[in-house]
Amino acid sequence: MSQAEAVGTAPQAVGGEGAARWGWAAGSLVLLLALGALVRYLDANVPVWLADVNWIKSVEFPIYAIAVGLAAGAVLGALGVRERLGAAFRTEFLIKTGLVLLGASINLAVIARAAGPAIVQSVVLISTVFLVAWWVGGRLGLDPKLRAVLAAAVSICGVSAAIAAAGAVAARKEQLAYVASLVILFALPSIFIVPWLATTLGLDAVVAGAWIGGNIDTTAAVTAAGAIVGDEALQIAAIVKQTQNALMGVVAVLLTAYFVFRVERVPGASVGLGAIWQRFPKFVLGFIAASAIATLYVGAAADSKAASDVVAVAGSSLRTWFFILAFVCIGVEFRPSALREAGARPVAVFAAATVVNLALALVLATLLFSGFQLA
Amino acid sequence: MDRSTQPPDAPSPAPATPGFRINEDWAATAVGLVLILLVLAGVIVKGMIP
Repeated sequence: MSQAEAVGTAPQAVGGEGAARWGWAAGSLVLLLALGALVRYLDANVPVWLADVNWIKSVEFPIYAIAVGLAAGAVLGALGVRERLGAAFRTEFLIKTGLVLLGASINLAVIARAAGPAIVQSVVLISTVFLVAWWVGGRLGLDPKLRAVLAAAVSICGVSAAIAAAGAVAARKEQLAYVASLVILFALPSIFIVPWLATTLGLDAVVAGAWIGGNIDTTAAVTAAGAIVGDEALQIAAIVKQTQNALMGVVAVLLTAYFVFRVERVPGASVGLGAIWQRFPKFVLGFIAASAIATLYVGAAADSKAASDVVAVAGSSLRTWFFILAFVCIGVEFRPSALREAGARPVAVFAAATVVNLALALVLATLLFSGFQLA
Repeated sequence: MDRSTQPPDAPSPAPATPGFRINEDWAATAVGLVLILLVLAGVIVKGMIP
């Protein structure tokens, strides 16, 4: 039975609406691919057009992608079609697919060696930054549920953690929207500021990657910032960030338990450990599987150089396309009005936690990743 | 009441289970791994990617 018959509406009308929806979705995909092609074109040609400008050579593709996305978002917003053309603009899906592809370019042994320091860094960072955000939020009189969602977002992985925390503490959707706006507001400038700081401080690529992965909230922004610094920084940033992502389930369960037993005091309630698996970001498994497949493929090949070149088609060329499309989406989805909607006190909490995150992540990255060899 | 701490609308709980997120994770995993396998099988080659 079709949906139209099930709800008793006129099938023709519903069919027309369905066709229109598919039309907008197809248009959205074509637009996204066209914007991605424009980014590739600018990345290849702007340094040629502006050969006399020295710094232009250091402008990497994420910057072109976000700039193109911001411009496209402004135009689509002015035309009033940004929501209708939004079907293909799936930042999270595109970045996660890109990260699975990135896994193919990282030897499994590197992931195994980096996992130890990445877990230590993530546990210290998440617990410290969460508690700082929670404490500052309390001092400023924020609602406990908003504090929980905000603290999870700033300490773990942005919007995904905010969604998990909102589910764990039964926050209002308005509170979740609030925090999601804040995450994006802070992530966008950090894509440019943190790589600049890493270069200014003269950080080694691996330490810079660990710092970026540890302190920037959203996975997409971590990927963009890592790509700006370089491929080695991107690899470590991705491993560190995905370690944080993987701990999201643990934090969600702890939050659920805290709110059930301490804040709301629900009699006879229990918290199942199955929630850890429910919150676990499954694409991390894809990232590890991709690394394992590529490592086995190159290891078993008679000509490992030729095999590495084949793997690079997925781990570099295709991955770059997914990242470009994701970064365009970041720009398109950015809304300056979110700052006004968020209000002053949550912004202050987020900013305070971000400063602590930035400083502590730098110390931990330097302590845990100095001397780490990728090869 | 301060808007920054108490959003004005009536309470409307956020989704308790992020079902879409999980589907999106699996979709990204499947698409990524299928693309890698197609590359390793020689179906997708470097010249095909602009």
